[in-house]
Amino acid sequence: MAMGMPYGLQAMLKEGHKHFSGVEEAVMKNIEACKALAQMTKTSLGPNGMNKMVINHLEKLFVTSDASTIVTEMDVYHPAAKLLVMAAKAQAGEVGDATNLVLTLAGELLGNAEVLLRDGLHTSEIAEGYQRASDKALSVLESLVLPGTDTLDVKDKAAVALRLRGAISSKQLGYEDLLAPLIAEACIDVVPSNPHNFNVDNVRIVKIMGGALPDSQVVKGMVLKRDAEGSVKCVENAKVAVYAQGVDTSGPETKGTVLIKSAEELEGYSRSEEEKLEQYVKAIADSGAKVIVSGGAIGEMAMHFIEKYRLLALRIPSKFDMRRFCRATGAVAIVKLQAPQPDELGFAKQIEVRELGGANCVVLQQDASLGSVATLVLRGSTEGFLDDVERAVDDGINAYKALCRDARCVPAGGASEIEMARQVADFGKKQTGLDQYAIARFAEALEVVPRTIAENSGLQASEVLARLYAAHAQGQVNAGVCIESGAPKDLAAEGIMDVYAAKWWAVRLATDAVVTVLKVDQIIMAKQAGGPKPRAGDGDDD
Amino acid sequence: MGSVKTLNPNADVMGRHAATFMCVNAAKGLHEVMKTNFGPKGTIKMLVGGAGDIKLTKDGNVLLREMQIQNPTAVMIARTAVAQDDVTGDGTTSIVLLIGEMMKQAERYLQEGSHPRVIVEGFDIAKKALLEFLDDFKTPVDASDREMLRCVSRTSLSTKLAPHLVEQLTDIVTDAVLTIKQPEQPLDLYMVEIMHMRHKLDQDTRLVKGLVLDHGSRHPDMPKRVEDAFILTANISLEYEKAEVNAGFFYSSAEQREALVAAERAYTDERCRRVIELKKQVCGDSGRGFVLINQKGIDPLCLDMLAKEGILALRRAKKRNMERLTLACGGFAINSVEELSPDCLGHAGAVYEHVLGEEKYTFVEDVKHPHSCTILIKGPNDHTIAQIKDAVRDGLRAVKNVIDDKAVVLGAGAFEIAAAAHLRSTVKKQAQGRAKLGVEAFAEALLGFVKVLAENSGYDAQDVLIKLQEEQERGSNVGLDIATGEALDPQVAGIYDNYIVKRQIILSAPVIASQLLLVDEVMRAGINMRGK
Repeated sequence: MAMGMPYGLQAMLKEGHKHFSGVEEAVMKNIEACKALAQMTKTSLGPNGMNKMVINHLEKLFVTSDASTIVTEMDVYHPAAKLLVMAAKAQAGEVGDATNLVLTLAGELLGNAEVLLRDGLHTSEIAEGYQRASDKALSVLESLVLPGTDTLDVKDKAAVALRLRGAISSKQLGYEDLLAPLIAEACIDVVPSNPHNFNVDNVRIVKIMGGALPDSQVVKGMVLKRDAEGSVKCVENAKVAVYAQGVDTSGPETKGTVLIKSAEELEGYSRSEEEKLEQYVKAIADSGAKVIVSGGAIGEMAMHFIEKYRLLALRIPSKFDMRRFCRATGAVAIVKLQAPQPDELGFAKQIEVRELGGANCVVLQQDASLGSVATLVLRGSTEGFLDDVERAVDDGINAYKALCRDARCVPAGGASEIEMARQVADFGKKQTGLDQYAIARFAEALEVVPRTIAENSGLQASEVLARLYAAHAQGQVNAGVCIESGAPKDLAAEGIMDVYAAKWWAVRLATDAVVTVLKVDQIIMAKQAGGPKPRAGDGDDD
Repeated sequence: MGSVKTLNPNADVMGRHAATFMCVNAAKGLHEVMKTNFGPKGTIKMLVGGAGDIKLTKDGNVLLREMQIQNPTAVMIARTAVAQDDVTGDGTTSIVLLIGEMMKQAERYLQEGSHPRVIVEGFDIAKKALLEFLDDFKTPVDASDREMLRCVSRTSLSTKLAPHLVEQLTDIVTDAVLTIKQPEQPLDLYMVEIMHMRHKLDQDTRLVKGLVLDHGSRHPDMPKRVEDAFILTANISLEYEKAEVNAGFFYSSAEQREALVAAERAYTDERCRRVIELKKQVCGDSGRGFVLINQKGIDPLCLDMLAKEGILALRRAKKRNMERLTLACGGFAINSVEELSPDCLGHAGAVYEHVLGEEKYTFVEDVKHPHSCTILIKGPNDHTIAQIKDAVRDGLRAVKNVIDDKAVVLGAGAFEIAAAAHLRSTVKKQAQGRAKLGVEAFAEALLGFVKVLAENSGYDAQDVLIKLQEEQERGSNVGLDIATGEALDPQVAGIYDNYIVKRQIILSAPVIASQLLLVDEVMRAGINMRGK
């Protein structure tokens, strides 16, 4: 301990604490870190975004352009950069899409804030200006909503697929025509009568290696990556009995001891056990069920009788899978091994074991009207590729959910950003206070989207931007970047649109994160707890 | 001072000047850190924990708690601040600032050769005079005046949160306290449950007149939403309990075993059936809902039985929520099935489940005469939630203090300016001899608040101070308008502080400052020193 002449905060803290304060030391450093993070995700923005290869702490390899995966696996340590990551995660939680936009926009806003700080503005003025600019931008965004998009028949496969294309093309360019209809089909299959209650959990994704992506298909029902237990491998139009616990002889909770005095009693005991079990299995078979599903182990003896009565036995160890299975078949999970009541039995149109890509899978097929679970079977050549496609599909499903709640769409391809930038800049010019500079910078930051799209596509960014501004000034508010020619083009006419809610949240969360970072003037860091040190070069410039 | 060295050669000793210097510097250092937090325009500090967890705060108490201070003087000051928080829930930054200022002022006189004892005497006189002055200065209020309560909670919250949240939380906090307030009974703030959800934006924080529980039903077939529901609050075990004595079963055939299994269940099933009977009795065919909230467990078999009857059952509810539930919904908690009767049931208009990712929340809302409520904090990330949570707790305390004190004190620095003037004009004249110095130092230290307030809002401290003092000399109560840097009447602006907070500050700050000033030697000669 510093016993001599302690002065200042540093001397008062425990050993190993770090402490930064003031604009130069805290704010600038934070901005630096956030910019580094945004720089990284920026190149992954847009349909022509680059992939990143991320190896996480478990040595698992990810090849992806999905920003939320990149930042999650990267394990960002710098506190300010972490605030941005949190904003991105909140975006993923709320809408499940446009996480990259949050990071890139926030990074750009902070970069511009740095310029303003160097010009002598106070952080609170910048924060204030950004806040006002974002309010303005959001109101502009609302006015940009494409007419006719606010109502969407969420059961219309073609219309839905069209809307989902935007979300998928930014992750898996080239496959959107293939994936969008598949996702649409799966989602429509499970959407309840009130689309607001659409549950993402009801669309399952099963990845099976082998084949190619075009071999992917939608199964109305479930696909379980395991084999049936017995020799019966296929049933049709069958009733299903579901048991939450294992299918075996039941024991009391209190410790039990079998009391046997002679050899006859031993034999008698075994026989009575067998009889009891047979009685149960027979009761199940008599109730008309052709399938037994068990949440736990199926005893050998039980298996013997199940075979004897030619029932299909299935083991689903996951509680959640079990619930889904119940939902898909309409069965009620029975907690005790007993003969099922008629209303506890579910129904499956077809359950069969199929060989998919070298592994046996149980496929439960239902008619659309019956089940409430659909599964997308994805095929592909490598695990990494499948993971990436899965993330794209996840985004697509989330986009569908967002559409169910708020179907409004805005022009894509940087068109809405340019229009927001244009109007926010105009708004800024009308302001008298110091925050007008911050507002102008906010507008500039919005340009990052079309610029990055252009850059990532190998176009001349400044030229593209100038042409876009020109087009917008002439009133073509829907004009966005055409990634092939670079010319302004009404992408909405081609059916490329962005979901309004995703953009709204992205602008909102990015601004919030930026304002928080700006308002921090002092950082006090405790000594890092034990455990492995974070690797160098992951957005942590400290 | 050499004597310690003789006794223990490892000892670490500081002489008189060094000791005073250390104390003053530590106080000043802490003052320096906390200064920027003070007032509505204070900045935020970011605290990063050992595991990389982030905490953003403006609250002095949180800051001191998380900072892990080691300097002995600083620890003493920090402890006073924590005591302040325990007693009043607010004013932690203020107390650190006041101690810092007092030490700073005292240092000047010490350097000029005064003895610390003289200054301490002056502090003491000033303290007594101020306590009397505070009693004259305070504004008595009617505790049921909602507008007044709002003013106080707004003043407290605005020093801790961003402006756009303050207005909203002011109403939430005030209404929460008014909800749980029962005539003739002391206020128990624990009856306000603070629940958080990582969801949406901070503006979505709201007051739920009812209860929010952070768990859901554990059975997929239970209703997700029941309306017009009876609430049974119970502490009965609906699962198999092992006997205290070591018991075992002996059986010799499967039938016998089955019988044993059945007998074992019978007891639990019976209790479950009693609950179901009650449900049938009160609900009949009316379609009204029935909710069982149990403090103990409910096993899957019982859950299944209850689910078949359309009962929404929650198990392992928190103990504190059991008390809140009966206050919110009415009825009373039962401890055995024998007590089951329609009288013990509470009522709620709507009970529903909300799923957020993996987590489930159950809302018990729309109750008739709530005496317990929940503040549901929402925010996109953990640090936002933590920030609001700390602020809400302080806000609640602030409102409670008004109700307890039945008085408030004008805020925005008005009290400090008036008090300083009073010390200088009246008290100093009455004080005899060199104690005048201590009184003067105290008066100057009080003005430190106004200076910091002005500085944080971006104005020149001295300019503002002179302006306000001039105004005050004309005989009115003035505070600082942080938006313009001009004088304002806090009464008009509705800026009020808690009486108890100010009182506690005046009581404890001089004590610590005096103690620190009177330190003349610092020794470290503990057993642990040997290793060094």
